[in-house]
Amino acid sequence: MSTTTVGIKLEEQFESEQQQRETAKLGMWTFLATELLLFSGMFISALVIRTLHPDSVTAVALHLKFWIGATNTAVLILSSFCMSVAIESSRLGLQRIMVRAMLLTAALGVLFMCLKGYEYYRDYVEHMTPFLHWRRYELVGDPASRLFTDLYFIITGLHAIHLTIGIGLMLVMSWLASRAGFLQKHQNRIEIVGLYWHFIDLIWMIVFPTLYLLNR
Amino acid sequence: MTPSDYVLRDLEVPPPVIDVPDDYLHADQSLWSWFVTTDHKRIGILYLVSITGFFILGSIAAGLVRLSLVVPDGEIFTNDVYNRLFTLHGVIMVWFFLVPSIPNTLGNFLLPLMIGAKDLAFPRLNLLSWYIFMGASLFTVFVMVWGGVDTGWTFYTPLSTQYSNGWVLAAVFGVIMVGFSSILTGLNFVVTTHKLRAPGMTWFRLPLFVWGNYATSLILVLATPVLTIAMILLFVERAFGLAIFDPDHGGDPVLFQHLFWFYSHPVVYVMVLPGMGVMSELVTAFAYKKIFGYKFIAFSSLGIAAIGFFVWGHHMFYNGESPYAGLTFSLMSFIVAVPSAIKVYNWAATIYKGEIRLDTPMLYAMGWIGLFVIGGVTGLMLASTALDGHVHDTYFVVAHFHYIMVGATVVAFLGGIHFWWPKITGRMYSEPWGRVSALLMFIGFNMTFLPQYVLGYLGMPRRYHVYPPAFQPLNVLSSAGAVVLAAAYIFPMVYLIYSLWYGERAGPNPWEAKGLEWTVPSPPPKHNFETIPTVDFEPYDYPNVIPEA
Repeated sequence: MSTTTVGIKLEEQFESEQQQRETAKLGMWTFLATELLLFSGMFISALVIRTLHPDSVTAVALHLKFWIGATNTAVLILSSFCMSVAIESSRLGLQRIMVRAMLLTAALGVLFMCLKGYEYYRDYVEHMTPFLHWRRYELVGDPASRLFTDLYFIITGLHAIHLTIGIGLMLVMSWLASRAGFLQKHQNRIEIVGLYWHFIDLIWMIVFPTLYLLNR
Repeated sequence: MTPSDYVLRDLEVPPPVIDVPDDYLHADQSLWSWFVTTDHKRIGILYLVSITGFFILGSIAAGLVRLSLVVPDGEIFTNDVYNRLFTLHGVIMVWFFLVPSIPNTLGNFLLPLMIGAKDLAFPRLNLLSWYIFMGASLFTVFVMVWGGVDTGWTFYTPLSTQYSNGWVLAAVFGVIMVGFSSILTGLNFVVTTHKLRAPGMTWFRLPLFVWGNYATSLILVLATPVLTIAMILLFVERAFGLAIFDPDHGGDPVLFQHLFWFYSHPVVYVMVLPGMGVMSELVTAFAYKKIFGYKFIAFSSLGIAAIGFFVWGHHMFYNGESPYAGLTFSLMSFIVAVPSAIKVYNWAATIYKGEIRLDTPMLYAMGWIGLFVIGGVTGLMLASTALDGHVHDTYFVVAHFHYIMVGATVVAFLGGIHFWWPKITGRMYSEPWGRVSALLMFIGFNMTFLPQYVLGYLGMPRRYHVYPPAFQPLNVLSSAGAVVLAAAYIFPMVYLIYSLWYGERAGPNPWEAKGLEWTVPSPPPKHNFETIPTVDFEPYDYPNVIPEA
């Protein structure tokens, strides 16, 4: 294990390394603010539907697979821990540990997706897919419950899309970052990707209580 | 042939000295170099060309709408075609012209120049933003022309999810995509303003145009994602039956309106804040006087951006919103007028006892202030719940928002283009034609939209093309005004393009204006500044200052 100097290559529009680092970080944070607002639109819709039809929403919430959701929450927290390890080792120049931590992060992301897929399958088996018009809906006598079920699929689906993008980024980055000299030129890219990963986990920390926990 | 000729021929002739300009326009002249450029100035030009194209398309749709309204019986187009025309006009003008109009053209070009930077923070992202914009907008325009969309630009549910027979899904997809372009540009501007200012360029030395664009970018970044999600929810409801707003299942269509206007009211400030920034530059330069109340103008931009997020409910006073919510939103809408008024008073105080030069940009600026005041004050009328009950969904509303969107945004856009044209192209345009166009714009605009206030007050609803014959004279007057307005748009296109080849060369600072962008040659060199400047002067340090009372 060799400890190399870490740094970044200066782009032409910047005057100093510090300026480039701060700029990249602020750029990512600004982007994450847009992500938060994107999901906020759905969280507020969930609360509105909950206020309009409290009983229907409770009926749906009882059908959600609490333990799968809870396990997935733990999986994501663990993945964020791995990402932190990757970031810290990138700062120290420990390239091999960093790459392995990132691969582990991606693997935990894949585990989340597998559990999520199984959960969708269970929903399908339990007839909780009202938008499939050929399949009977479990709570058919309660039309308003459809709204929350649909929103559950939209929110978790959109989160899954973001997580898939995160896994893709993680794999590409760990491939790029495994090359010699990466940390001398692009160390801060690990931190930027890490911010995204942490934030997608954070979004799930809001999704989980909003859908699974309230009124349970 | 005499021997002396041979001597002459054999003399070594030095190669002719060609003065090759090395500005950003001449750095690489191939067409391809424009499509892969990451130079913020060139991307500004790319945007300028593309949004001008969309403006022409949107104007043609508007012209056809006005043509239809010349006769009261709606004989010229069928109802379906009429609905598609005003939707085409609205969607193109809002998303493909007004939102990107000033920020993505002048803002792109000027922001790094004004703060003393070599480029934006993320130049490649800037180019990506343009490609997303072009892909999304061309796709949407194709969809709306070929298939047609009849929901209006607001896409209200359940019309858009259940009843409309147009190509709603494709158009909604295009609108979602163009939102990403807005977000990327807004993000780039926010980060650039924070991190790329030259040494000595403190926040309170920033030109007010930068403040305006900064406030705009904050709105773009925070509001656009909410439109994206509203449109995604609409899309999946129509496409896959994932009901969220569907009243058949107890869904609330007004929820869609809330989400939609949470974006679409702040986006009005996206249209007007950069225009206000342009005004602050024009008014000081042509009064040749230090701006009055710099900090008030700067903070009022942020104030408008912040308060503008809490007024959206005034679009739903009569759509099932509770009276208490209506009261709150009414109050907030009155409050948001305060920072706008602060700006207008400050500009008036800046002009007061200045050395006023009535060049073309200043004529646009004067017209702007007049139109903005009328648009703003009628906005206050609409913000009062009682009066809104009378004029809700009438031509009064149409006239009001055109005074803001055209009277403020388009006039400021044209004023700004005329002001910075010498900087962008290095050429001067014909001043007499410029003045004629600015005046024509003011006359044509008022002729078109003043009658609509009256029509609305008398009760003509918006979005109908059949109306009582008693309304015909005012409608004909409005349509005639649109012809004048069209001339006011065509003239600048002709003489500005003409000036590219035949205009006089402009020096670095033809208006003797202050600001970093006027210290570099016109057109600016590829990397803006040879060395990054150190700013040791205050903004707008014109010789004339505020007279003592």
